[in-house]
Amino acid sequence: MNVLFVLAAILFILMLTIGGAKGARSFISLFLNFIVILVTVIFMASPLVDPILLTMIACVVISCINLFYINEVNSKTTVAFISTIITIGILFFFIYFITKKVQIQGFGEEEFEEIRIFSLYIGIDFIRLSASVIIMSTIGAITDVAISITSPMKEIFHHNPHLKSKELFTSGMTIGKDILGSNTNTLFFAFIGGYMALLIWFKDLSYSFGEVVNSKIFSSEMIMIMCAGIGIALVIPIAAGINAWYLVRTKQKEMKNDE
Amino acid sequence: MKIILKNIQKLSKKQYIYIAIIAFCLLTSIIFVYNNHSLYKRPIGQITEISLEEKDEVVDRYGNEDEVFKQQIIAHILNGEQKGEEVYITNEYSSSGSYDHKYEAGQEVFIHIQNHTTEDGETSASITDVKRDKYLVMIAWVFILTLLLIGKRQGLFASVSLAINIILLSYALDLYVHTSINLLWISGILAILFTVFSLLLVNGFNEKTYAAIIATLLGTFFALFVAYVTMWLTNENGLRYEEMQFLTRPYDIVFLAGLFIGSLGAVMDVAISISSAMFELYHKNNNISPDALKKSGFDIGRDIMGTMTNILFFAYISGSIPTLILYLKNHSQLGFTLSINLSLELARALAGGIGIVITIPIGLYTTLYFIERKRAKS
Repeated sequence: MNVLFVLAAILFILMLTIGGAKGARSFISLFLNFIVILVTVIFMASPLVDPILLTMIACVVISCINLFYINEVNSKTTVAFISTIITIGILFFFIYFITKKVQIQGFGEEEFEEIRIFSLYIGIDFIRLSASVIIMSTIGAITDVAISITSPMKEIFHHNPHLKSKELFTSGMTIGKDILGSNTNTLFFAFIGGYMALLIWFKDLSYSFGEVVNSKIFSSEMIMIMCAGIGIALVIPIAAGINAWYLVRTKQKEMKNDE
Repeated sequence: MKIILKNIQKLSKKQYIYIAIIAFCLLTSIIFVYNNHSLYKRPIGQITEISLEEKDEVVDRYGNEDEVFKQQIIAHILNGEQKGEEVYITNEYSSSGSYDHKYEAGQEVFIHIQNHTTEDGETSASITDVKRDKYLVMIAWVFILTLLLIGKRQGLFASVSLAINIILLSYALDLYVHTSINLLWISGILAILFTVFSLLLVNGFNEKTYAAIIATLLGTFFALFVAYVTMWLTNENGLRYEEMQFLTRPYDIVFLAGLFIGSLGAVMDVAISISSAMFELYHKNNNISPDALKKSGFDIGRDIMGTMTNILFFAYISGSIPTLILYLKNHSQLGFTLSINLSLELARALAGGIGIVITIPIGLYTTLYFIERKRAKS
């Protein structure tokens, strides 16, 4: 029996018993997302297609799965979707600039053993690839924050329909602030868990503080965590702003139609 | 401009002091990191001149086309005994840049100075790494400022708890490397400290936090237990440890520790979401029935379980993309590539998902227990 198969089966049973139909959808969404990543990687291996463009397309598909498939198509998920795409667009410029400047693309010397046997001149722009990786690793968190803001905001507006868009925006920001910390934390631990082996290797090599800070692997790891945090923080005002504007405008339209 | 001025006038004295402190820290750290060359033992060179010598089109044995360039670099040593001297460096880089770098004038790099000099009396050297510390400090400031600007107090807490966690982790790994304590024990204690610190710092001392702490620990320990038993029952069939082969330590233990710590954040998030929502309902209506609380707890859990597992999934899998592409471009079979590079990541994501889902009922019942206890008291 394969470990992955057993774990997947346990996860599926748990999701189904605790989450019912929505749990089953959540499990299938994981599977769909895996296929999206796979297809993206296969396309990325072609030097003709730009990795960043591919990642943008992949992000659109992934956001559709995470928002529209797990939940459903409604104003909450639509606004969350738009905010996610805008945030990722802004983030891409920032991250691409950083990966180019700090030169964190590709593999670190600590990983050389692993890649030694391969031909490294493969004609793929690794700077663009690194920027894509950073975006891709935060897309789950960004969609999560977006939907966590738009959905209670609608609830608040439903209970207090007289709210102005500015007040609505403020309450969206308040919700966002509460989830900011826990979401950066989630990603922090996930990245640390994923790089446990390399971090131990660093300690085994007894690197000095200066060597650790300047090494490619450590700095790219830190940049990944910080860019993820910036992305999560950025989506908060974007989602709150668009949602406040949208909710108040639809309300006004409805009132006009009633008259 | 007018709006900015108006906002500045609105600031209180306390806020002025905060801004002054932040500005001071920002400036000192940046001045420090731009002038810290003497603190490094390794020689640092600043590139003053660059000339492109050669450009070759190469085709590797799999038909991948790439360009390889040769740069002649003159660098100025900034620290150590040879400070002020010039060295000559030859650098080769490719357009893809997976394991090489294109350097530009003005850049600062760590160099290795060769002892012998060439016929012309020039000292030759090679570049070992880029000096990345100044960029790291600047990005850290962008991160901190964004969090402060948008999150205010909570942003501050998030940055502080991140810093504490990094220090704790570094200390714990030191302990592991220098003693013979089992890594799983260290991770267990580390997990307790992480959870207690992070949750108390953000949510304060109250029953809501206590319920979340207990649920988080039970949930992550359950995920670890399930992963451990599965690995034991299946004889670790399907897990490929090739990506850890540089380690001289037991792979499976390191993997389990990573799995454990990795799922911690997501599980914490689920636990606190459930406990704070349930306490909110209780505070609004003290007579709410346990069944109604349970139902809304499950509703919240259902809503977050999909997105939370997806967060973990993307955070784990994305990091492997460059390696996957390297394998594929070297004509490795897709199945082989995936099983070698993704088996550990997928196992981590699945086990993390199990932790997330099981925390929903665990969190629900612990919170219910705390609420009932509070109700009995009042």
